[in-house]
Amino acid sequence: MEVILYGLGPLVVLLLALLGNRYAAPRLRQMVAVWVSVVLVGTAAWSFPGVMQGHWTAILVVLTNLVAATSAWDSVWWGQEHPNMQPRRYYLWWALFWASLITIALTHDLAIAWLAIEFSTLASGALIVEMGNRRALEAAWKYIVIASVGLAMGIIGILFVYGSLRSEGLGWQTLDYANIKLHYQTIAPIVREVATILIVCGIGTKVGLVPFHTWLPDAHSEAPSPVSGLLSGILLGLCLVTIDRFVGAAPLPTATLFSGPHLLLIFGTLSVLVGTLALLVQRDIKRLLAYSSIEQMGIMAIGFGIGTPWAQGAALLQLVFHAVIKSTLFYIGGHLSVVYDTKRMDKITDILHLHRTLALVWTVGILALAGLPPLGLAYSEWMILQALWESHLIAVLFVLSASLVLAFAALLYHLLRGLWGGLEVVVSQSTATFEATRRLDKISDGGGVHP
Amino acid sequence: MAIAGFFVFITTMGLLQSRNVLHSVMFLAVEGLALTAMVWISGPLTLTTLSIGIATLFVKVGVIPGTMYRVISQWPTEYRREHPLPFWAYIVAVALVLAVGHVIHLLTPSGLILHDSLFFYGMASIYLGLLLIISRRHMVSQVSALVAVENGLVVLAASVAGALPTFMEFGMLIDLLVATAILVWMSRRIRWQFNSADVTDLKLLRG
Repeated sequence: MEVILYGLGPLVVLLLALLGNRYAAPRLRQMVAVWVSVVLVGTAAWSFPGVMQGHWTAILVVLTNLVAATSAWDSVWWGQEHPNMQPRRYYLWWALFWASLITIALTHDLAIAWLAIEFSTLASGALIVEMGNRRALEAAWKYIVIASVGLAMGIIGILFVYGSLRSEGLGWQTLDYANIKLHYQTIAPIVREVATILIVCGIGTKVGLVPFHTWLPDAHSEAPSPVSGLLSGILLGLCLVTIDRFVGAAPLPTATLFSGPHLLLIFGTLSVLVGTLALLVQRDIKRLLAYSSIEQMGIMAIGFGIGTPWAQGAALLQLVFHAVIKSTLFYIGGHLSVVYDTKRMDKITDILHLHRTLALVWTVGILALAGLPPLGLAYSEWMILQALWESHLIAVLFVLSASLVLAFAALLYHLLRGLWGGLEVVVSQSTATFEATRRLDKISDGGGVHP
Repeated sequence: MAIAGFFVFITTMGLLQSRNVLHSVMFLAVEGLALTAMVWISGPLTLTTLSIGIATLFVKVGVIPGTMYRVISQWPTEYRREHPLPFWAYIVAVALVLAVGHVIHLLTPSGLILHDSLFFYGMASIYLGLLLIISRRHMVSQVSALVAVENGLVVLAASVAGALPTFMEFGMLIDLLVATAILVWMSRRIRWQFNSADVTDLKLLRG
C-alpha cells in the first residue's frame, strides 16, 4: 500500500510530462503543482500517526513531499520567468528526482538507498543541464563525475558488508539495516572499519561534507531554483540520514580511531568551519546559500556523530527546520536573481523598497538560518551545543560556537546589505535633514531592475 | 572467472595507455564481453544468470560503446585525441596496483575474500579507473574511466560475494546506462558550447 501511495505521486507527474504536449506549459505546471499538493495531503494523513510517534521514516517522507510540493509551486512561478525552459523534459527529470528522494527516505535497505542516491545524482544533474548555459553545464559535469566517484567508494564498502554477511543467505534482505544490526558482530572488525570509512566518505560526498564538498556550491548555485531547494533542503539531509542509519546498524568499538561517530564529528567540524568562513566572502546569492548548506550539514553531522538520543533528535530537528528554511530561501534567491538579472549580491540591493514581499520572506528566512530565537534552528542548534557539553566534546563545542557566531554575523551583514545596501545618505546644505536617495541608476546599470 | 577478471584488468590498463578516445570505446566493449562471459561461467546457467548476462551484453557491449562511438565519430579528428598521460600518473598507477596486494594481505584473515586473483583484478581496475578520472583530460576518457570503475566493481563483487542480488545487478546496470547517456549527451553539448573536449577548459566556476 505504501509503495502504491508513494510511487503514484512521481508516476503521475511522469505521465503528465510525457503527455505534456497536450497542455500549454503554464497549465502543465499548475496541474503538477496541484497533484503534488494532493500527494502531500495524502501522505500527511497516512503518516500522521507515525509522525506523532516520532518515527523518522514518517517524518522524512512527509518532509520530502512538503518540500516537493513547494518546489512544484515555485516551478510554476519560475517557469514563467524562464519561458525558454522545456517543461516536459524539466518535469520528466523532476519526477525521477522526486521518486529517488522518496525511495531514500522510505527504504530500510542500504543497497536500495545507494541505488536511489546514485539515481538522484543523475536526475538532478540532468535538471542542472536543462539550464542550458555554460556555467550550468560545467557545474553538472563536475557534480556527476565527483558524486559518482564518491558513490563508487561507497558501494565498495557496501560490497564488503554484503560479502561478510553472505553466509546468512538472505538475498536482497541482507543489507536491511535491521539485519545488519542483528549480525554486525559476524563482520570482522577490520572489514567493518574499512566499510564504515568507505561508506561515510562515499555517501558523505553527496552530503557535501568537507573535504568532499567541491561540487556542491557549483551545482546548487547553477541548478534551477526549485531544484536547488530540493537538492539542498532534502537530498543532502537524506544522504546524511542514510550514513547515520548504517553507522547505527554496524557500530564499531568506541576506541576505534575511524569509527562512524568519529568520522562524522571530524567531517562535521570541518564542514562547519569551512562553510562558515566561506559565508564571509561570498558574492553570489545562491553560492551563499550553498555554503550555508555545507555549514548546516556539518552541524547535523556533529549531532549524529555525538550519537546520544538527545543529539540525534536535535540533528533530526535541525534537518527538518533546515529543509523548510533553505528551500524557501533558494526559491526567493532565484526570483531575486531573475528580478535583478544577476546573482551578484552587490547588485541585489535595496530589496526592501523595491520588492517588499520578497524582502519580507528573505529577511525571515535569513534570520531563521542565522539561528535567531525564537525561529526553529536556534533550538536545535542549542540542543546540539548542550549535547556536546554533556559529552565533554569541548574542542568541537568551541569550534561550533565560534562558527555559529561568525555565521550569524556573515548572514546578517549580507541581509542588511541586500535590504538597504542601495541607499545613499545625502546631507542637505540648507537644512539639517537627511534625504535618502536610492541609487536606482547604479542598479539599473548592473542589470535592469523591474520595480 | 579469473581469466575474465584478467581481461577487465588488462583493458583498463589499455585505457590508461590509449591516446585515441575511439580506442577507449573499443576497450570498454571488450570489458563488457569479459563481464558477460564471467556472469555466464560463474555457476550453473539459470534464468537469472542468463538474463543478467544478456542485459550486461546489451548495455556494456552494445548501448554504451555504441552511443559513445556514434557521438565521437561525428567529431573532427583533433577532438578525438587525448593528451599524453603525465609521468606521475604512471608512478601512481604502479603504486596503486602494488597496494592491492597489501589490501589483500590485510583482508585475507577476515575471510571476506573468496577469490584472491579476482579480488586483485577488480580492485586494481577500480584504482586505475579512479586514477584515469583525475589524470585524463578528455571528457570521453572520464566517461570511459567511470564505466571502467563500474566494471571493476562487478569483478570485485564476484570476488567477495560470488554474486550480487538480482535487483542490485540490474539496478547498477540501469544506473550506469543512464549515467553514460547523460554524460555523453553533456559531452556533445560541452564540445559544442565550449568548442573543446578538454575538461581543463571548464573553469568558469570556482569550485
